[in-house]
Amino acid sequence: MSLSKGEKIFVGIILAAIIVTWLFSLPNIGGMEQLSEMGIGTKWIYTFGEEAGFFTRINWLTVIMGGIICLVVIIFAHGVSKKFSMIPNRKQSAVELFLDFMYKTVEDSITVKEYVKPVFVISTTLFIFIGVANIISGIPGLNVSVINGEPHFSLFLDTWYTPTSDLNTNATYALMTLVISHAFAIKVKGFGNWIKSFFQPVFIMFPMNLVGEISKPISHSLRLFGNIYGGGILVLILSYMVKYLILPVVLWGFFGMFIGLIQAMVFSMLTIAYIAGQIE
Amino acid sequence: MEQAIIEAAKYVGAGLCMGIGAIGPAIGEGNVGGHAMDAMARQPEMAGSLVTRMLLAMAVSESTGLYSLLIAFIILFV
Repeated sequence: MSLSKGEKIFVGIILAAIIVTWLFSLPNIGGMEQLSEMGIGTKWIYTFGEEAGFFTRINWLTVIMGGIICLVVIIFAHGVSKKFSMIPNRKQSAVELFLDFMYKTVEDSITVKEYVKPVFVISTTLFIFIGVANIISGIPGLNVSVINGEPHFSLFLDTWYTPTSDLNTNATYALMTLVISHAFAIKVKGFGNWIKSFFQPVFIMFPMNLVGEISKPISHSLRLFGNIYGGGILVLILSYMVKYLILPVVLWGFFGMFIGLIQAMVFSMLTIAYIAGQIE
Repeated sequence: MEQAIIEAAKYVGAGLCMGIGAIGPAIGEGNVGGHAMDAMARQPEMAGSLVTRMLLAMAVSESTGLYSLLIAFIILFV
């Protein structure tokens, strides 16, 4: 196997990063008694004001990391679209292949012609944001765990904090999908027909239809949340003794990148399916 | 003593929750994989698109197992 100069530099950087993270984590290699003191699964939630209510609690890292991911995606898209040419370079052809695949998938399942483009925009935006957020959760970086009420910042001892491991982000997107699908249904079918669709085969089925609609965003958001949050905790528990030797890299690659990309795909596919089920 | 009983019941409950909850997704994913294999054996030229759809279907059928994983984590840590 012969590597070019660029590939050698790339491999060297990755090996150096692994060795540096391993050296960082040397003091952390310990026994079983540390497991309860690692602050597994805790979130840094800041409360302002007197009482901890619905509107006075904020998870800073979700806000900050969501903003950073948005910025990265916007800068990348700007860089690609600035030099759009007839003969595409590598970046542009990759973007075109991906967008073409998504457009064909949407076109296959949405029967109403003028709603293909809005649904394509919604589902592709969700896929890009969630996909980038999930890939980040397979790369070592900044994370915060709360131990005895005090936030502990850890650099390169854990993966990047991702907004999708917070249920609020996923529930927001799932609720947004529900509202959009019903708004499209009202626009396509008219208000009367939309009301009628709840009483579909017979009148008595109304509670069943209502519960079916309400349970959609719950399962939609919990699927993604469970995969990302559970995967992160699973990797931490499996690898706390041999942290950063060799096993966690493989596990992060599996749980962060592979499962994360599949779940982002599933999320956007289900978005398309829910909207298509409402407006057909 | 009471604290010890609660602590023990936590671990037993989390183990039972995850163990019983993993049966359903295992059967479901086995079904999906087996039928995908059947389809690939019948039409080998479709294998590429079948694999992606199989992974999608597996990820969806996995979600009930993930609910029990979440419940187990909640029992253990919260």
